[in-house]
Amino acid sequence: MDYLLHTLVVAVIYSAFAVSLNLELGFTGLYNFGHVAFFGIGAYTSALLSLAGFPAAASLFLGMGASGAAGALIAVPALRLTGDYFGIATLAFGEMIRLFFLNERWLTKGPMGLPGIPRPFGIHGGVAGLPFYLLLSAVLGAGVFLLAYRLTRSPFGRALKVVREDEYVAQALGKNVLSLKVRIVAMGSLMAGLAGALYGHYITYISPSDFTLNETILVLLCVVLGGRGTQWGPVLGAFLVIFFQEFLRFLPLPVEFGRVVAPLQGMVYGAALILLMLKRPEGLLPEYRV
Amino acid sequence: MWGEGEVSTYYAQLLLNGVIAGSVYALFAVGLTMVYGVFRFINFAHGELIAWGAYLTLLFSQVLPFSAAVAPALGLTLILGISQDRYVYSPLRRRSRITLLIASIGLSYFLRNALRLVWGSDLQTYGFEAWRGLSFGDLNITRIQLAMVAAALLFLGFLYGLLKFTMLGKSLRAAADNMELAEIMGIDMKRVGMTVWTLSALFAGAGGILIGLDTNLEPMMGLTNLIKSFAAVLLGGAGNVWGALLGGLFIGVAENLGVAFFSPGYKDAVSFALIVLLLLFRPAGLFGILGGVR
Repeated sequence: MDYLLHTLVVAVIYSAFAVSLNLELGFTGLYNFGHVAFFGIGAYTSALLSLAGFPAAASLFLGMGASGAAGALIAVPALRLTGDYFGIATLAFGEMIRLFFLNERWLTKGPMGLPGIPRPFGIHGGVAGLPFYLLLSAVLGAGVFLLAYRLTRSPFGRALKVVREDEYVAQALGKNVLSLKVRIVAMGSLMAGLAGALYGHYITYISPSDFTLNETILVLLCVVLGGRGTQWGPVLGAFLVIFFQEFLRFLPLPVEFGRVVAPLQGMVYGAALILLMLKRPEGLLPEYRV
Repeated sequence: MWGEGEVSTYYAQLLLNGVIAGSVYALFAVGLTMVYGVFRFINFAHGELIAWGAYLTLLFSQVLPFSAAVAPALGLTLILGISQDRYVYSPLRRRSRITLLIASIGLSYFLRNALRLVWGSDLQTYGFEAWRGLSFGDLNITRIQLAMVAAALLFLGFLYGLLKFTMLGKSLRAAADNMELAEIMGIDMKRVGMTVWTLSALFAGAGGILIGLDTNLEPMMGLTNLIKSFAAVLLGGAGNVWGALLGGLFIGVAENLGVAFFSPGYKDAVSFALIVLLLLFRPAGLFGILGGVR
């Protein structure tokens, strides 16, 4: 039962993370391959602030803000060009943020990580706090979902889709394409930062190895599997992927098999991405096209 | 602290190391940019060709002498590169670009984890004892580093000859300039595609082996070198082969001189900083022309 609650918490956090990536990847057509950086910035900012004595609830939102600001900052240079370059720049940015977490020991304690991150609103750090933390993440996750829902259904959201389909058309319609993109990347980073902060306060221990390309691939898979550019796709994808991942832990595998589980899992995720693109690029819930 | 002569020797040594490392980065970048030039997409799995080349050599060198192990390893890397195109990229060629890119990053992740599955995540070496360096005045260079420069010169010289003097090279350049027009003019695009993938995979595999000889092998070597190659490709202007070569050299020198000023933990960050600066100020690359921007 506790295990189910745990899986639900992680799935809800990843849903928010996936929804934030979907804003960029699904609705605007921006290939962000370093989204984990913003998850990480949110987690570290919030963890460091709360460890320094800030109330955890306030640090949660400060972490979110820091990540949004970082997103806006990196978006301006990276979005000067369309297409593949944004993918390259974000991929590299993700790696650099990980290097920063690893090397700036005075701030992040390097590979040792940050243990003992308090949970907000006095929620108990152990198993006893699980139902409350699920409630907290569900409320914040629903907030992210509703915000994304409203955004993408607004005129702003429709403009984003035009940018995705054809930038020149968007320009011809008098839209400022760069500004639209920067705003959506800032928004996506903001939400990813919140998800990251929630994750840090939930697990209560973070280290640079929690924010690698693996997490980017995982959240990318959530979005692509569920359905890019849809409201519920990323949520469905996140639940499927996280439940699959947690289910693996229950398989009665021999101990010596443990070493190969992580690479095998990675191969499955990579293969899933390739097969989805080859056979069903629209994902499980296809986008409704007018 | 140091005499004036020693300081300049220190920088000269860093410069030399940079050129040596850069010549290998140039090999990676040239392959990456050639694929971009013809197919107009960035192959995120290019780094995995680098890593697989290095690790396959490790595998074969356990049964064969090292120099003989290189050939089958490069052969398999080549097959890997061509299968990438045949089974993943070519079926997706007419779909949207985002589909292609997601497949390419999925492929790179798949290959990297396959590598970890076979060889584990620990550092490995080819097990040579450190070779005695050669000295030129105050500058030191190891035999491996000499081999790196020699191999890079050999491969790039071969490429120059191919592009400049053969009909195949001409069709390659034509295809990179305008694929549709080249096809209309009766150029066999299958042959061009095959050549591009062959060169790209060979250069990546060979460079991977050289890096493995110089330092060590680890599963992340593909990703690290991929980011450097990206930076080099951007420096040269995407699709520009000789620009990528110069870009690779530039990255090598920049990151080695950077060691003098920053903590070595940030050596890999130099290429990222360059990417950001370039995107801000010279999006077409240092030597690029604005025509080929995408």
